[in-house]
Amino acid sequence: MAAALRSSPLAHALATLHPEWIEVAGMPLASKLRDDRPDRSAKLGICDLSALPRIGLKGPGAADWLSARGVPVPDQPNTWSALEGGGAVARLARTEFLVEDGFSGKAVARLAPDLKPGSPGVYPVPRQDCALALTGELVNELLVQTCNVDFTAQTRDARVVTLTLMVGVSVTVLQQRLAGTDCWRLWCDGTSGPYLWETLTGIAAELGGGAVGFASAFPDAQLQNLQ
Amino acid sequence: MSSRLPPVTGEWIDRSRGVDFTFDGRAYRGCAGDTPASALWAADVHVLGRSFKYHRPRGVLSLANHDVNTMMQAGARLNLRADVEPLEQGMALTSVNTAGGASGDRLRILNALGGFLPVGFYYKAFHRPKALFPFWERVFRRMTGLGTLDFGAPHIRTPKRYDFCDVLVVGAGPAGLHAALAAGRAGAKVVLVDENARIGGSLGYQRGGSIEGFEMLRDLERDLADLPNVSVRPGTLAAGYYADHWIPLVDAQRMTKLRPRAVIVAGGAFEQPAVFRNNDAPGVMLASAAQRLLYRYAVKPMDKALVLTANADGYRAALDLMAHGVAIAAVADLRADGEPSALSMRVKQVGIPVLKSHCVLEAEAVGDRLVAATVCPTGADGKPDTASPQKFACDGLVMSVGWAPAAALLYQAGASMRYDTTTHQFVPERLPAGVFACGRVNGVYALDSRCEDGERAGTEAARHLGFDTPERSFSIAPERSPPSHPWPIVEHPAGKNFVDFDEDLHLRDFHNAAQEGFDNIELMKRYTTVGMGPSQGKHSNMNAIRVLARIRGVSPGEVGTTTARPFFHPVPLSHLAGRGFNVHRETPLHSRHDGLGAVWMQAGVWLRPEYYALPGKRKSEIVRDEARAVRDAVGLIDVGTLGKMELYGPDAGAFLERVYTAKFSGMKPGTTRYAVMLDESGVVIDDGVVARLSEQHFYFTTTTTGSTTVYRELQRWNAQWNLEVGIVNATGAFAAMNLAGPKARAVLRKLTSLDLSNEAFPYLALREADVAGVPARLMRVGFVGELGYEIHVPADRAARVWDALMEAGQDDGIRPFGVEAQRLLRLEKGHIIIGQDTDGLTQPDEAGLEWAVKVDKPFFVGKRSVEIVRKNGPRQKLVGFELDAIGASTAPRECHLVVRNGAIAGRVTSIAWSDTLGKHVGLAFVAPDMTELNSPFFIRADGGTMVQARVVPTPFYDAEGLRQKVVD
Repeated sequence: MAAALRSSPLAHALATLHPEWIEVAGMPLASKLRDDRPDRSAKLGICDLSALPRIGLKGPGAADWLSARGVPVPDQPNTWSALEGGGAVARLARTEFLVEDGFSGKAVARLAPDLKPGSPGVYPVPRQDCALALTGELVNELLVQTCNVDFTAQTRDARVVTLTLMVGVSVTVLQQRLAGTDCWRLWCDGTSGPYLWETLTGIAAELGGGAVGFASAFPDAQLQNLQ
Repeated sequence: MSSRLPPVTGEWIDRSRGVDFTFDGRAYRGCAGDTPASALWAADVHVLGRSFKYHRPRGVLSLANHDVNTMMQAGARLNLRADVEPLEQGMALTSVNTAGGASGDRLRILNALGGFLPVGFYYKAFHRPKALFPFWERVFRRMTGLGTLDFGAPHIRTPKRYDFCDVLVVGAGPAGLHAALAAGRAGAKVVLVDENARIGGSLGYQRGGSIEGFEMLRDLERDLADLPNVSVRPGTLAAGYYADHWIPLVDAQRMTKLRPRAVIVAGGAFEQPAVFRNNDAPGVMLASAAQRLLYRYAVKPMDKALVLTANADGYRAALDLMAHGVAIAAVADLRADGEPSALSMRVKQVGIPVLKSHCVLEAEAVGDRLVAATVCPTGADGKPDTASPQKFACDGLVMSVGWAPAAALLYQAGASMRYDTTTHQFVPERLPAGVFACGRVNGVYALDSRCEDGERAGTEAARHLGFDTPERSFSIAPERSPPSHPWPIVEHPAGKNFVDFDEDLHLRDFHNAAQEGFDNIELMKRYTTVGMGPSQGKHSNMNAIRVLARIRGVSPGEVGTTTARPFFHPVPLSHLAGRGFNVHRETPLHSRHDGLGAVWMQAGVWLRPEYYALPGKRKSEIVRDEARAVRDAVGLIDVGTLGKMELYGPDAGAFLERVYTAKFSGMKPGTTRYAVMLDESGVVIDDGVVARLSEQHFYFTTTTTGSTTVYRELQRWNAQWNLEVGIVNATGAFAAMNLAGPKARAVLRKLTSLDLSNEAFPYLALREADVAGVPARLMRVGFVGELGYEIHVPADRAARVWDALMEAGQDDGIRPFGVEAQRLLRLEKGHIIIGQDTDGLTQPDEAGLEWAVKVDKPFFVGKRSVEIVRKNGPRQKLVGFELDAIGASTAPRECHLVVRNGAIAGRVTSIAWSDTLGKHVGLAFVAPDMTELNSPFFIRADGGTMVQARVVPTPFYDAEGLRQKVVD
């Protein structure tokens, strides 16, 4: 793999796990970890998806800006709508949005060039997130040890977006079926990423899970448009 | 000898599994399921500990988690509650607060000196002569304390977790069990907790010689098992109530923060001791304690007992004891009419004599063992008639004279309580929404009534949450006789009639306290320390209230209760600590610093390199070398921890004019400006650099620790002002590094096509260009006083830029520098750090920031305060200083005081040795009349040494600023 331009907030932490890298949107993504076990993702896997392309925007004109470009805008704050290719549009507040492509999405690549300062009422929000996916049957046990929100009360179909604190870090959380795998998605500021990763993987290890590579967490995923 | 009974139905012990342990060095054997107290009592060991003050022998009192005098130490483990905690194989238990063990405690001599140790004696004694105070302090430190702290004890990780349910039921006695069933049957997700190892509460042990209650418990357990939506958690304490129904549940492993939608408090009541002389002798115990010994641990509490009672429970205890071979000398009933229920007849039928209107005057112990009790008739005034005492030989005395509701959670939830004269206890008068009470805590005692009350509470809670439950009326019968006696207290001229067993407070102590004016319950609590011991007044507060009420001639209701604060029962520190999360943020360059040997320091929530370690070099050398590299060549520092904000919109300039003290509307794109932020009271709270990217787009920095607060404040302000702006906190989205030093331009030139000439990119300008192929924002600023470029790039490409700069600077001797070197460099320039050279009261004029405050603007936050303060003049002024003694060996440090005429006149905010300047320089707050240049002042350094300093102008280095404005 040629030297990628971008690096994940977790690049350093992942490097210690002896990963096999693939490049996604100019950023290395840990496809496999040396100690990946087949059952770990099913039990409790934590996967770095920071490489997925994403944009953020806010302002009174943000919703219209997205709609005008054919993006399905969620009706209510704290909900999300699906994008073709497994992506999501999360309405973080009345006038703020996060758009992230899935494994075969191309919406961000299409939208990003247009998102520049100067559009009236539309303000770009740079997104340099640490983005994770939590998979497996023990996810809720991890969540109840780290966050005071009752995620069991949320159904996947309700498409709820939760902005809360997890072990002291501001996070955005939603439940998603991604490439055939049920998972909880989690975004935080990249600078808090290493601490959150270390904390979550530490607890997950106690529960019999831990860090997993992308190929382990999403065995059916097909990466298109992103490489 | 052993007092272990043959198998008892429902016993908690497993006789097939013996447990070996030692207590004060002697070996014993108990059973799995025993507690240390029950196993020792079974082994006929009755002195389980010593009292706190008088070192009197103490045995079983409650066996309900408040036998504080029998707390033990097990190796490194402190505060082991011997009355309830499970006995473990190989436990090496020792008594605490003794000299020579529980049975042979040499400090028991203090019991004879009690007359010299009245309540509050320590407030008045040992202060004079003053010189002896340290001696007494050492003596008392040696004598007091419960156990020996082992600093080598392993750290036990007790992860906390959150949990959620519809209904939490606290207490799994008959009321709680019925409440849980009712709510569970209505469809609610229920959590039922009980602090005891098994559920059932009094159904398991208050049997009255009958098996009926226990069989009811079996039925209830079966019913619960049929409800998968009811989670039963024994061994779990609901330790407090916090707003919005947050309840910490504490079990052996962890604390769970539970958030139920409704709470039912069915915690029952604490049985209360009677107060009479020697009511603490081993063998004197609460009736419920004797019953717990019988039915939980199959231990015969005594051979012959006197029962002192004032309610039906005492009669049940007498029957229970008799059913297990304990001879009953008599039942002494405080009430004139005795027990109105059929229990009275049953007691008489088995031949137990009942003495109505009788009290216990005193218990008599020989050695450490109860041998007799003296009983007297009680007069109409409640006082004993000592003219006709009867003495009963007995080795046990059980007391059942009343109860105090376990209402701490209700108080904490904001319940209004009243003193009920039909039950002689405090009962809920008004409960907050979503909080319910049932059973004894609700003033309901008869078993059938408790069951119905529980069902009522469970039904009401379910209905409150919207669960569909059939309409049903509940009728709780009033109590036939008060379960508590209003005055179970007997005075005795020789004292030692204890009200508080934790703190060794006897009745006379309360009279003394009241006499000294502490006749309010809160004051009395603090003066006497009643209820302040580890049991938190569970067995003493109610009697203390009764005593104070009688002293003042008012009702207990008028006396009121003390404040019930969470946690209402001690919680292990390990549980409170949990995992001990250490929240921190790392810049995108963290791994680069690691590779360079960074020594980390915490700056707010950030980890920053303090300096970069080098083999064989001390920190001070390295910091000076790093600073020297910046002055002589070029250095690179990660400043990504600065807060970074984007501000968009047509009102962006106007918005900045309001939040900062300077003017921004007229700024040209491509320029930067220093900015100071005040709060409404005019105090300096933050500073940074504002850069204008375009007409409607600003980018500005805040201090490292200020970004979150500033962002929140900006949002708050604009919620009021409603200006057309968009504020984005981009702190984590951008990395930032400062390339500084005379060779900075040469290094940067290798990586960008941007024209770096002074004309094209002058001091304080902003430019956007690629650096090492990465789009960057470059600001020519000079915090460290050299030619410098602050380079801001997207976080995910920061490492690439850092690497490129380090490589490009190789030939020019580039060196990374840390926070320590930066602090020194900026001090040489006299630049202040907000939060270090200012504090929570500093006005801009005091910190020398007058020039940055434009009061000719119509408005900015804090303007009005600044104008008011200016009328009065500053309280202090920040000045630069240098030490007169060059290379002083006793240099002052930050926060050392400036002293004038023996009074504090200021303090040092920053100080450092500057190699560049060859002297110590610093900043200090001094009185306004001490700011004259070259005037001397004194700083009190370590050890009281007075060091002379002199006011000098700042900057200390490059006063004209030529180095940072350097031209090609």
